[in-house]
Amino acid sequence: MGKVAIVCNGSENSSVYPTFIMGSAAAATGDDVIIFFTPGSVPALMPGYLENLKAKGMPSMNELLEGVKALGGRMVLCELALEAKDVTPADLRDDLEIGGATSFIVDIKDAKTTFSF
Amino acid sequence: MATHTIDALGLKCPQPILKIAVKAKELQQGDMLEVLADCPSFPVDIKAWCERTGKTLLFCATDGEGKHKAQIQF
Repeated sequence: MGKVAIVCNGSENSSVYPTFIMGSAAAATGDDVIIFFTPGSVPALMPGYLENLKAKGMPSMNELLEGVKALGGRMVLCELALEAKDVTPADLRDDLEIGGATSFIVDIKDAKTTFSF
Repeated sequence: MATHTIDALGLKCPQPILKIAVKAKELQQGDMLEVLADCPSFPVDIKAWCERTGKTLLFCATDGEGKHKAQIQF
């Protein structure tokens, strides 16, 4: 069906929750979902962080994450984050791709819906 | 044809629909899916999901306590 591109700019709940709520809702309705994480989101991409994230009144982050993945959603971390935040891919969750802005822009050329949180 | 059930009681939007979408991958055409949910937006969401994905929403009924029961024909 369609394609939805989401940029996640931070590691606070106000960035991470809408990213995965919109992402999982889009994936559930049959859209291809690609989430691009900018360097500010790195703290949320440490192994286990999302799995254990809870917030009052909000759905289980772990289930949103598993749903996005089960429905083929892609998660890409901006390659600039590695040097900017002094991390290596091995420090981060293992379901991330590392990618650049150019390939993201090419990938989302046909996305009719975009979000930035 | 088989009948499947999802208990999504207590789950918040968009988790019930997400569970249905993940389950849908293993269902065959003609299968029946029954879903229980108490998320307030469920009746509207399930209607939208069925329209978008080409499934038939046979009914979505709500009892006096805000519990919804939907039946979807795949």
